[in-house]
Amino acid sequence: MARYAMVMDTRHCIGCHSCTIACKIRNELPTYMIYNPVTTDGPHGTFPHLNMLFLPLLCMHCDNSPCVDACPTGASVQTENGIVHVVDKKCVGCLSCIMACPYGARYHNHETGAVNKCNFCLDRVEEGMRPHCVETCHQKARIFGDLDDPNSEVSKLISENRSFQLLQELNTDPCVFYIY
Amino acid sequence: MSEKHQTWGWMLAVDFFFAGMGGAMLIVAAIIDLFIGKNQISVLANIVGPLCMSVGCGFLILELGRPLQAWRVFMNPKAILTFGAWMMTFAIISGFVYASFGIDFGLFFWRDWGFLRQLLALVNLVTGLVVATYPGVLLGRHKGRPFWVGPAIMGLFLLSSLVTALALHLLCAMIAPVEGSVLNNLPKLLAALLLAQGLLWAGYLWIKASGTTAAEAASAQRWISGDLSKRFKISFMLLGTLLPLVMFLIPVSLFQGLATLLVLFGGVTMRMMTVTSGNDRTFLPGELQYRSRLPHGHERFLKKNWI
Ligand code: SF4
Ligand code: SF4
Repeated sequence: MARYAMVMDTRHCIGCHSCTIACKIRNELPTYMIYNPVTTDGPHGTFPHLNMLFLPLLCMHCDNSPCVDACPTGASVQTENGIVHVVDKKCVGCLSCIMACPYGARYHNHETGAVNKCNFCLDRVEEGMRPHCVETCHQKARIFGDLDDPNSEVSKLISENRSFQLLQELNTDPCVFYIY
Repeated sequence: MSEKHQTWGWMLAVDFFFAGMGGAMLIVAAIIDLFIGKNQISVLANIVGPLCMSVGCGFLILELGRPLQAWRVFMNPKAILTFGAWMMTFAIISGFVYASFGIDFGLFFWRDWGFLRQLLALVNLVTGLVVATYPGVLLGRHKGRPFWVGPAIMGLFLLSSLVTALALHLLCAMIAPVEGSVLNNLPKLLAALLLAQGLLWAGYLWIKASGTTAAEAASAQRWISGDLSKRFKISFMLLGTLLPLVMFLIPVSLFQGLATLLVLFGGVTMRMMTVTSGNDRTFLPGELQYRSRLPHGHERFLKKNWI
């Protein structure tokens, strides 16, 4: 069984927000929902020793996902290959998962009353395709693949480069890795 | 961008208030019944306890995005909210049946079954304790919410539930007095608990402010000198804690009655502020700046019909 993960190559990301827009269009998201914002960290330091990163964010599809544990209805689930998603018809909109998620990856849909989030484009992945944001990134800053396969591009990138995960100290075991 | 309801709102705070107070009322009644003596608590107080929890339930349901599907919250036994929902249901049912022992009504044929009354008192003690404690446990587990995280919030919520429950018991005893009841000694106990509440909250904020992470310190600063400080100092500390503390020590019924209302006001204010503080997440690098630049929904370009 695969363990899907995403690698963000911050050396390549130019902060163009194409992935943000592609996701919004593909998922027909209302204005207030942004599954994958791209934030700017920095600039840090003093001239001429400055550095700045663009950080594409999204649901981290945590291995130890507090949102799934918090959901009282069983609407928030994690598939065997690690993708965390919401079964819409079971969701009552209690917002427990929104409060439990330390990454701000979930949104309350005011029209339906349920909670929505990034699901790594589950339908596309099931058909062997890559998530839409990955497909859109013209800088190849987003790489998607199987973490359990040592020969996959994501596994190689992580083992051959310096990488970090966001809020690692919370022990959520996020499956999005940032290389720098 | 509309930020409407992206986090828990005031209705959940009101649920925590009523549920915690109702649960703690069951604890007080059960302890008195099991360890001190029978017929010390009025029927009114015994009904008000489970009634408060029912009101709390109502607010919880209204807070949901899909209130008509509220029954689904009972479905995931691994979730703490599901556990809390089941416990609250048991506590409400057990509380009302227990209260029925004091009502002289023919259909309540079980009124002479002493063992059932004792058993229900025990169930009330356990379920009441869970209901009064679980909002604090729920909040304290939120790793990404710096103001809540940690076990201390559980103690503060339990203490507040006990204080508000004792205040409501006292109020009920004033409305429907019970001769020779142990509740007559409540004002001094309440004053002592209010003192503890004031000190513990000051300590909690001090620990958070000098806390382990910058996010925890920033969340506490909102209470100490930020946008929540006036409400904390005036509404909760002064009106909801210190003033009733002094009033309980004055042996005049009017003062003590007013003090109980102030305690309830303090309890609901504290929960509103605590839930509001949970809006502060541990933000990711650059996230606050990113979100501050997003439209809020009232911008002209969002309202204009471009077609
Ligand atoms: S990032 Fe948030 S929504 Fe995604 S799996 Fe982790 S806790 Fe759940
Ligand atoms: S809002 Fe929906 S998905 Fe989230 S915890 Fe509640 S029921 Fe589960």
